Amino acid sequence: MPLRVRLTLWYGTALAVILIVFGSALYAVLARGFRDQVDRSLEETAAVAVRALEQHRVGPFLPFDDLAAEFPELAVLDKSFQIFSPAGKVTIQSPNLGRLDIPLSRTALETALSGRATFESARFRDGSSFRLLSAPIILDGALVNIIQVGTSLRPVEEMLQRLLLVLLVSLPAALAAALGGGWFLAGRALRPVESITLAARRIAAGDLTQRLTVAHSPDEIGRLSATFNDMIARLEASFRQVRQFSADASHELRTPLTVMKGETELALRRARPAEDYKLVLESNLEEIDRMVRIVDELLFLSRADLGEVRIESLPVRLDALVEDMQRQAAVLGQEQDVQVAVGAVASVTVQGDELRLRELLLNLVDNAVKYSRPGGKVELTLVRDGTTARLSVTDQGIGITAEAQTHIFDRFYRADEARAHAPKGTGLGLSICKWIVEAHHGRIEVQSTVGQGSKFTVALPIMS
Amino acid sequence: MRILVVEDEVKVASFIRRALEEESYAVDVCGDGAKGLDLAQAGCYDLIVLDLMLPGMPGLEVLKALRKEQIAAPVLILTARSELDQKVKGLDAGADDYLTKPFAIEELLARARALLRRGSGEAGGVLQVDDLALNPATREVTRSGKRIELTAKEYALLEYLMRNAGRVLTRPMIAEHVWDHDFDTFTNVIDVYVNYLRNKIDRGQARKLIQTVRGSGYTLKAE
Repeated sequence: MPLRVRLTLWYGTALAVILIVFGSALYAVLARGFRDQVDRSLEETAAVAVRALEQHRVGPFLPFDDLAAEFPELAVLDKSFQIFSPAGKVTIQSPNLGRLDIPLSRTALETALSGRATFESARFRDGSSFRLLSAPIILDGALVNIIQVGTSLRPVEEMLQRLLLVLLVSLPAALAAALGGGWFLAGRALRPVESITLAARRIAAGDLTQRLTVAHSPDEIGRLSATFNDMIARLEASFRQVRQFSADASHELRTPLTVMKGETELALRRARPAEDYKLVLESNLEEIDRMVRIVDELLFLSRADLGEVRIESLPVRLDALVEDMQRQAAVLGQEQDVQVAVGAVASVTVQGDELRLRELLLNLVDNAVKYSRPGGKVELTLVRDGTTARLSVTDQGIGITAEAQTHIFDRFYRADEARAHAPKGTGLGLSICKWIVEAHHGRIEVQSTVGQGSKFTVALPIMS
Repeated sequence: MRILVVEDEVKVASFIRRALEEESYAVDVCGDGAKGLDLAQAGCYDLIVLDLMLPGMPGLEVLKALRKEQIAAPVLILTARSELDQKVKGLDAGADDYLTKPFAIEELLARARALLRRGSGEAGGVLQVDDLALNPATREVTRSGKRIELTAKEYALLEYLMRNAGRVLTRPMIAEHVWDHDFDTFTNVIDVYVNYLRNKIDRGQARKLIQTVRGSGYTLKAE
């Protein structure tokens, strides 16, 4: 069922319930009020009559005219009354009763005998209903008469009937009007939703450059479309990243393939000395190693992205790791005539995965050596800075331009200078470093001056 | 025929150079876009093989700059991206052909031959002057149907002469198109090679095709 219909129905049902409850309560309260009013006025009338009769010590038999002459206030009353003897016989009857014969009920008589008044409702054959109050008149402790005051309930009933009619006509009309209004308002409120749906459909069809054009109002729809646009923008950015990433990955894999294919085909074009074939095979082996490295690193990163790489959370002595690394790094450095030294090393323990941290450090030192010039120096330091361990690898190598510094942690990014200096890099090492550091809740930063060298600093929280 | 290869991947550039040199082309290699543009502007190349992803200056920019300066040498672009977009952009920017990496060496050579043929105006693939014929694809040279064996250098020299049949070619022009850049001072080497060619092509023939233009250089034409 469309939201518009549902909203209208919900709204209509709620309103109908409210109107019915309200109408019934109004009717009940008014009906009760009218009846109470009738009863009160009967009581007042009876009280006046009883008082008058008691004062005048009226006997059991008295014609109404005499009575009326004696008590003029009785004549002006809009009520009928009858006076019964203690035996229940009518003695006096007001003329406005006409031909109606209202006997004293048994209950009323018995209650009167015990000295109390009784309210009764009576309905006659002609359909008129009466409200009756029978009150005892007691002289010197003995019941002398019973006075019955009555009034017709017709005006009250007519009033209530009119009220019921008004309610029965006006409530459905109000409900219908409200439903119409609700339908219109729901449609109006939902119109932007419809336009969002259309835009979303276009976007879903693959056009991520689409944006919602709903006005930027601060209401719910405005917020929804702003949120939606933000989401699409982020999606577009991540799609672009993925596309860039796979383009870069395929480029990086195509290069070694191009070399292998080209060199092999060239070698096979004619017979050559064995030495030439050996060179081609050696070169191909290099390219295969490069591809293996790229594929391994890509696999690691994609597993890391999927959260499938497990990171241990054990105490790791960073100082021991640094000293350990120096021995490995010295060998790396010797090949390129780069001296690897260890500066200040504070004793710090962090929580993490020793294997990954070792990989991180090895990557950084390997980079530092790779981008150093012969005779250069690479220095490792580890200092404690409050609750943070700062591990730095400083080199005196070719340096990184400010523009490149913003990209070096991006996958496959390699500055032109880096490509020229170390053609065998994969462009993934620093992405992996960054991932390892972040998996340890740390940060990695670089400071560098072109031609003077770079300093990579890893900040990790010290285990408390 | 002199070819400029602008490619930053050292190994790729290296095997392209070796393959082209085996086909007797003179080859210059450059690994940077901006430097490649300088070279292309300075030298007169018969073909430029241009990678699109280059340091210094992107290949597409190099290509546009070349065409803007009316350098009409055919350009073969190399791209690692097989995306249509790249090829269309490259061709629209003035490239004559493209190859997607990884490519077959024979295809590169065949496309190079096709592009060089386009430059010389000959259509059938076989260069013909009088009864002298040269097939760049098979590197077969015949005169009156009789096969002539040539060394790589002799072949390169003959191909250049035949592609420019009827034109007077100076020694510096020949040096430029047939020999490597580091050549230049030993111009008498050209005379030596022209003599070798004459021995193999014109000796014993009634019509001499290779002629000396006194004070200028050489020309190859049917009389």
